[in-house]
Amino acid sequence: MEFSLLGAAALALACAAVVLWWEGRTEGGVRERFDLVLSSAVAGLAVGRIAAMIGGGTNPFTHPGDLLILRGGVDTGFAAAGALAAAIVLSRVDVAGRLDAVAAAALAGLAGWHGGCVLRGACAGTPTSLPWGITEQGGPVARHPVEAYAAVLLAAGAVALVLWRRRGAPAGTAAGAALAWAAAVRLATEPMRVGLGAGPEWWYVVGLSAGAASVVWSMVAGRAQP
Amino acid sequence: MTARRLPLLAAVLALVLAACGGPDVDVSDVPELPPTTPAELEALVSASEVPVVVNVWASWCGPCRSEAPLFREAAAQAGGDVRFVGIDVRDDQDGARAFIAEFGLTSFEHYFDRTGAVPASLGATGVPLTFFFSPGGGLASTHIGVIDERTLALRIDDLLAGTG
Repeated sequence: MEFSLLGAAALALACAAVVLWWEGRTEGGVRERFDLVLSSAVAGLAVGRIAAMIGGGTNPFTHPGDLLILRGGVDTGFAAAGALAAAIVLSRVDVAGRLDAVAAAALAGLAGWHGGCVLRGACAGTPTSLPWGITEQGGPVARHPVEAYAAVLLAAGAVALVLWRRRGAPAGTAAGAALAWAAAVRLATEPMRVGLGAGPEWWYVVGLSAGAASVVWSMVAGRAQP
Repeated sequence: MTARRLPLLAAVLALVLAACGGPDVDVSDVPELPPTTPAELEALVSASEVPVVVNVWASWCGPCRSEAPLFREAAAQAGGDVRFVGIDVRDDQDGARAFIAEFGLTSFEHYFDRTGAVPASLGATGVPLTFFFSPGGGLASTHIGVIDERTLALRIDDLLAGTG
């Protein structure tokens, strides 16, 4: 048994915790926010894994143990939707405010997850002749470190979001911006990923559109208030 | 919606999704798996002009279930560029045929290895295992344990890049 996936998950949580701590120095509520991030992430993983199992032809009721074998696949779109739905349900009151409060941490967590490719030996994407191309596990060609690209972009988004919130971002915009940025990063890096069959690009288009629409709507609603 | 209703909603959603069927292959359409030996597999990969991916599985192996859909998808995507071979080890024929039918793994060949001699001859034990062979039979790499989509796709891409 190997624990590289667990290592990547731990790195993701650590990155999210760092951003929560950073924001918590001025805003407080770090513990509650971390609970929300963790609960939403677990719910998202479960939904994404169930969707991947069903998509692959495995009945989750007859083989519940397969739920734990995350390496077998997690459907990204369903996982994101599950995590978002769980966060909304768990927030109960002041949903926009609580989603805003964990938005940067969520981006940082995603950055940690992608950066965890170093632990998993799974950073490489399509072949490249660029000087920073990498070879993994004795591969014959240099490849884009595509997961590192995603990690850097997501981390930059997390930092930008923290700074934007400190400048007084209107309620609801941080969460929308985080969703849009996460989707945009995945959409931009997807052509450099190597996978089986068609990628989940349309999920990213939906996420980008929904996030952008949420930002616009929140800004308009914020200006309309007396 | 209250948080109390969330598990109920999740259960209903899961039931609906579970009703969406997977591959529809009748077990009676799956023939018995022919037995193989290390020498026969070596001859098979040596004679191949395209890369060969050998997946070692068993119907009783939980992790094998999770990666089976990946091999079905990879075999369908690769077409004739890569040859996929399944080796069922320490199993029985009924279980093996049911496994192949359940996951629709009929698009590539499978062999029966009751003692697990084939993977042992390649220096690995346990299931699942995946061996990647270059054209002509050179063992390019071995993956021990469950393989994920990205790793499988990258290893296949490496094999094809090495032959291109």
